[in-house]
Amino acid sequence: MADFSWNVQSPLQQALVPGRHGGAGTQVGVTLEEVRGVSLVQVMARRGRVAETIKAAKKLFSVEPPDTPRAVSGRNATLIWSGPDQFMVLSARQTGDQFAKLTAGFAGVASLSDQSDGRCLIRIAGSGARQALAKFSSLDLHDSVFPAGAAATTAVDHTAVNFWREPGSVDENAVFNMLVFTSFADSLWHTILDSCLEYGVQASVAHAA
Amino acid sequence: MRIACPFCGERENGEFTYLGDASPKRPNFAVDGGESPERVEDAFYDYVYLRDNVAGVMREYWYHGGGCRSWLVAERNTVTHEFISVTAAPGAGAASAVRAGE
Repeated sequence: MADFSWNVQSPLQQALVPGRHGGAGTQVGVTLEEVRGVSLVQVMARRGRVAETIKAAKKLFSVEPPDTPRAVSGRNATLIWSGPDQFMVLSARQTGDQFAKLTAGFAGVASLSDQSDGRCLIRIAGSGARQALAKFSSLDLHDSVFPAGAAATTAVDHTAVNFWREPGSVDENAVFNMLVFTSFADSLWHTILDSCLEYGVQASVAHAA
Repeated sequence: MRIACPFCGERENGEFTYLGDASPKRPNFAVDGGESPERVEDAFYDYVYLRDNVAGVMREYWYHGGGCRSWLVAERNTVTHEFISVTAAPGAGAASAVRAGE
């Protein structure tokens, strides 16, 4: 019997062509990155176990998970609000079973789901990023409304995404992150790239650190 | 039209779906409580099928499927489309120990 071999492959294997695209001359108004090698876990507090979930998260990451649409940096992980009493844990993928460690940490108080291979992380930055994003997102991304660390679960191009601005990224160098379902990543990438082309795009693959 | 989700803030209405009147309450009869079958049937017929066609302010269920995936209760003026208030439906999130609101 043939052995199956499972090769991990990015959903943007075809769509992402590293290098400069669009624009005039050599200007780069938007940098577009796919961040690979991430570990992503959805954590949902069980009914009536919110306080215990917060406590467990604090023990694991040294910060309280966000209770409003925000992303907070904790020990070796970013916690991103994804709905009432639920959040996502984003970290760099390591050898060893990270999911098992979290499952043990939240045992009995929250339900966890490993989304590491279910979502694709796309990072958008640069002087033209907000203008490009305005073409396909209805969020107000002005610094006064969507400051560093702000997060939103929203629909982009009829597709659900988890969206947040990198904590600590200052106004003129704001970095925006998008978690999109892997099966929609290819299509959304084209939408995003097309929206960015007029500003000049530098596309690349990054690895979570 | 923009709807102010109590969890997410103001969002475009395309992120939401409308369910309908939030007022009907599910009839609650005790099993073998001695109610006549006609009365039980009437009460359920009313609950399942009969709706008021309100011209003015009504309470209605909305679902924020394109966002935080929470059920909401909105007070909306059906004549002007003005949203007077939007609150989480009972049982939204995990904070309350009770499952949902009838």
